[in-house]
Amino acid sequence: MTLTELFVNNTPHVTVFVDRCAGCQECVIRCPSGALSMEPTTWTVLADDSACVGCRQCVRTCPFSAISVGGPMLVTERHDPPLHHPVELRGNVDETRVGFATWDEAIAEASRCLECPDPTCVRGCPAHNNIPQFIAAVRDHDLATAHRILSRTTVIPDICSRVCNQSAQCEGSCSWSLAGGEPVAIGRLERFIADQAPVPAPSMTSEAWVEHAGGGMSVGIIGSGPAGIGAAWDLIESGASVTVYEKESTPGGLCMWGMPDFTLPEAVATRPWQQLTAAGVDLRCGIVIQPEDVDRLLDEHDAVVVAHGAGVAIRLPVPGADLEGVVDATQFLQGAKAALEPVGNAQEFLGRLGLAPTNSTGTPFRVLVLGAGNTAMDVARMARRLGLDAMCIDWLDERFALARPDELAEARHEGVEVRFQRTLTTLKGFAGRVDLAELTHTVQEESGRQPKVLTGRHDRLKVNLVVMAMGYRVDPAFAEVLSHVPIRKKATGVSDGQWRASGIMANAASAYANHSPVGELALDREVGLWAAALPVDERLWVVGDALTGPSTVVEAMAQGRRAARAILDAQPSRPGGAERRPSVAKRVLVCHESAGGTTAATATAIAGQLAAFGARVTTLPIAEVGARELAAADVVVVGTWVEGLVVARVHPAKATRKWLEAMPRLGSRPVGIFCTYGVDPKSTLSEMRSAIEAKGGVIAGERAFGPKDREGDAGHLGTGDFVRALVAQLGLEANVAPSSVPWRTLDSVRVVSR
Amino acid sequence: MAVKTEGKGSPRADATHLIDPIAVAIRTRRPQDPAGTGRFIPTDPSPGLDVARNPRVARLLSSRRLQFFMILPNQIIFWLVIGIGLLGAVDPGLNFATAITWYLWFCLVFVMMVVIGRAWCAICPFGGFGEWVQRHTFWNRTTSTIGLGLKMPEKVAQYGFLLSVGTFLLLTWIEEYFNIAGPGNPASTSFMVLGIVASALVFFLVFERRTFCRYLCPLSALVGSVGAMGSVAGFRTRDRNVCLSCQTKECMRGGEDAYGCAWYTWPGSSDSNLSCGLCTECYKACPNDNIGLFIQKPLTSVVAPTRRRADVAWSVAILFGLVVYQQLNALSPFASLDSWLNAHTYFPQYPNPLNYVGTIAGVTLLLVAGAKAFQKTFASPDAVIVEGGRNFNDRTSKFRFYFLPLMYGIIPVVGADYFARQLPKFFLHVPRVVTAIGHLFGHGTTTSKLYNTSLISSSAGIIAVQVAVMVMGTAAAMWASWKIAGRDLAPASVNRRAVQVGAAGFAFVCGAATAVLYVLMNAAS
Repeated sequence: MTLTELFVNNTPHVTVFVDRCAGCQECVIRCPSGALSMEPTTWTVLADDSACVGCRQCVRTCPFSAISVGGPMLVTERHDPPLHHPVELRGNVDETRVGFATWDEAIAEASRCLECPDPTCVRGCPAHNNIPQFIAAVRDHDLATAHRILSRTTVIPDICSRVCNQSAQCEGSCSWSLAGGEPVAIGRLERFIADQAPVPAPSMTSEAWVEHAGGGMSVGIIGSGPAGIGAAWDLIESGASVTVYEKESTPGGLCMWGMPDFTLPEAVATRPWQQLTAAGVDLRCGIVIQPEDVDRLLDEHDAVVVAHGAGVAIRLPVPGADLEGVVDATQFLQGAKAALEPVGNAQEFLGRLGLAPTNSTGTPFRVLVLGAGNTAMDVARMARRLGLDAMCIDWLDERFALARPDELAEARHEGVEVRFQRTLTTLKGFAGRVDLAELTHTVQEESGRQPKVLTGRHDRLKVNLVVMAMGYRVDPAFAEVLSHVPIRKKATGVSDGQWRASGIMANAASAYANHSPVGELALDREVGLWAAALPVDERLWVVGDALTGPSTVVEAMAQGRRAARAILDAQPSRPGGAERRPSVAKRVLVCHESAGGTTAATATAIAGQLAAFGARVTTLPIAEVGARELAAADVVVVGTWVEGLVVARVHPAKATRKWLEAMPRLGSRPVGIFCTYGVDPKSTLSEMRSAIEAKGGVIAGERAFGPKDREGDAGHLGTGDFVRALVAQLGLEANVAPSSVPWRTLDSVRVVSR
Repeated sequence: MAVKTEGKGSPRADATHLIDPIAVAIRTRRPQDPAGTGRFIPTDPSPGLDVARNPRVARLLSSRRLQFFMILPNQIIFWLVIGIGLLGAVDPGLNFATAITWYLWFCLVFVMMVVIGRAWCAICPFGGFGEWVQRHTFWNRTTSTIGLGLKMPEKVAQYGFLLSVGTFLLLTWIEEYFNIAGPGNPASTSFMVLGIVASALVFFLVFERRTFCRYLCPLSALVGSVGAMGSVAGFRTRDRNVCLSCQTKECMRGGEDAYGCAWYTWPGSSDSNLSCGLCTECYKACPNDNIGLFIQKPLTSVVAPTRRRADVAWSVAILFGLVVYQQLNALSPFASLDSWLNAHTYFPQYPNPLNYVGTIAGVTLLLVAGAKAFQKTFASPDAVIVEGGRNFNDRTSKFRFYFLPLMYGIIPVVGADYFARQLPKFFLHVPRVVTAIGHLFGHGTTTSKLYNTSLISSSAGIIAVQVAVMVMGTAAAMWASWKIAGRDLAPASVNRRAVQVGAAGFAFVCGAATAVLYVLMNAAS
């Protein structure tokens, strides 16, 4: 043994704390390298150091923190192709990021993937691409399979791989990243697949499960951004007639006007719409849909998807914000993009912004960009290409910056000055035009925490143009009509057990991910994703930024697809339109809040009776019912026990009240409500009715079950009328008399909660 | 009938188009099934012994308020103990704090251990108080905790119950030094209880879950080891295959309505009631309704476990040393020895630390020597011990091979011994609890009839009960040792019957020696 071998620990070492190891095998089933097994006598985990690669997946998944891993991560260095920096910036809109040039490069990078059994990257990807599988296909040099795998979850891999902030999504959630290392270059591998062969066009035979499901259905989509693309893609594949209304003259939304060519080449951005229109989507550009037009569209179509995005730029309300020379990012980006096109006129655009051909001092004009997110970077880099000096300021700490790390590096390399921990306090003008910006220093201690403004530390800056690029918001006119959106995209309460089990929630704030908690962010995205599946009103779905406020391209696309699939499930039809019957049995969700088991037993009995009518029934405690469960139901039944004093007031149980308050929109879904009581339910049902109607649900039946009902004839529960009211909503015919279903015990029904 | 009930996140065949893509990407390895090795066959209770199958019990166990209301009475009593001990009557027989703590509580705790197991832990006010603060709620499921949430460092945690034994030895020495349990000055009892509450609180705020209860509580090792005699197996899996296929393990991680196990115990692999604090959280958390509350035959958790823990065995040996010390210190020659040592070591009063530690270590070493002799006598020369790990509990040796089962076998002797040691105070003075309660309301005095009444007043009567308890404990230990030796020691020993007789004899010697001591002690309290 050499001295080096003696003193340098160059292999991973696994320590199992046998006192805490309970033998649950959570680590064993998730270990990518198969280094863990069970010791049969003690039933604790046994580790084989020689097989361990040091990814620490076991550490993150152990419920009792009974395992630790020391030593290095056995993974080759990540291969990132060098950035393509234009030598001459002025007027140059060549793409700066390049993909893998050869199969060898791609396969070398693909070989770094561990193919984790419970891949956290999949949870981190907003579209939930099956990343390990498409990477495995790359490794196998199998492009067709890679495309097929990707097409199940994304229709714009070429766009997402270029514009996604992978560091906070898939790559930030990669096992290597969570362990503190460099993740697999998932984005570049996705791009490699998309660039090597054309992304498959919408096809009626692409997936058997959507084939013809939308036949005869007419769907109108407002907006042609990523959310609209996602929705239109799945609907046209299902055979639906899709009409898209776009206010601009070209489709694509933010991808077209909000992203410069050096980030997203126009050929890539226009590809989805070329394919969609070729597949039969009726694209109507230049048509502005006002909020009041939505009702008209609902008359014309069986379903309407609102995907108009969030295109109103946020302006910072500081003194001087109304001076000449203060513009917003939309205005600047749209103009700059047109100006930098081969037929564009940059000088004319600069003249419109009030920037004379040359500065009187001979130095370039200075543009101050407020914000340091991706849009701000795009603005600043565009400014550089227009021959201007650009400076971005952001009040966040650079460690927690919102911009992609590579985008930030590129911007700096191109000469953009980025100052973090600064905020604008005042703009001063000369002769009505902005001339001076006063900045104040800030400090941010933790990711997600609002920075503090430090008084007494100021910068004064000479500026010629100020661009507000702090983000966008939803058009307030639409927000007024669709008063329930945008929703708050925030997961609350105890996070989903399977997510915690996967390890993504543990140690998920790596430096690679800019210290952002990737697990929490991913769970928040799930809220938007499942909310997209629920209609906000009868036959009306809202997706993308319009649903959740400003978000990402990939999320919008995924939400659009999810809404499309929900429409295919729901089979809505406009008044007077052709009646369609779903291909699957009506789905009923019976959810209950039960304290002593009576409500649960009643719910089970109701479920049994509904099932006897041919419905597909799921019963769940309300604690386990969220947007995902509601989205998969045609009819919802809610039951609760009651609490309170008969002499004073009787309510639905507190848990039910909280649940009803937090419930997403029901989009005119029929809802049955019931309660179980001992003495008097008083206003319980009316309270439930009001809460559900406020969420857009339609009460299909209601009933309070008292002690006498439970003692009913021959032990049968008197649910007949209640169930019949629901059955009427389902359009089912009785094939079993409901009264034959006994109270309390049903052999095939098991209640989840006790 | 096509009624389906599903857990959250499971694939839904009825949602034809809404497929969760995450589920498609998960390809976890198949868990190893212990059924093939027969690992849990001896310890799994019969499904028929699941009291949680009773709907009323199930309803009770499901309630989040259950733990609170189980802890609340003791919480009230112990805060009264603290207050009344400091402010109440000086006479320990009239003071509620001393009367209820030393005449009744300490005796009842042992009864609970022997009958139920960790019943005390389920109602313990010390852990309960710390947990309320840590979770900043009395019964709700909160998602954040107060405190640092550290984990006990493994270098320390590997010694398991030995840490608890250490704190028990320290507390007992303090108790003897200040004559707290005598009982002496009631304020001393208050300070002791307050000290336990404060240290528990500190540990609950520094460490996560019930680290204090699992590792540091002075009673934990005693309750855990003696509680193995109890007839409550604790919360266990109903169907191990369901646990193996469970994708969330909410019993360990916590779920929507319940916390993860605070005792670091997984019902799916639990093979004794050793570390089940009966807190009901796993029962509430399980999304598959797959956890039951099982009862078992007495001594099952002594005899059945196939994995014997070194920390438990050493704890039993040391705890036996301590109780023997408490017997010996009632004998006048021993008191003389203590005084002699104090004079020569310049220590002010009883108990001399050298004497205290020396006696406990001496008795422990006697057990060790006995186990060593047992090994020399019965070990088969051909037997090869499987190589163990580096952890304290993981190491293996020929000595451990014999020592561990033998110590498990004498658990009933240790339990009976501790119980019998409390009986004189109970029989002689427990009616004073009523007087002390009356005194709070101005009724009881030292001249009250109950103050001067005893359940058994004669020494002979008390000795008879003590010896009877020891006879029962010894008989139980002999039976357990016989069974354990037949299953665990026989395969590596020269003669099956001989090793069984030897193990039972070992238990008999331990039990008989302590029974004789009770005769010599003449019912001293």
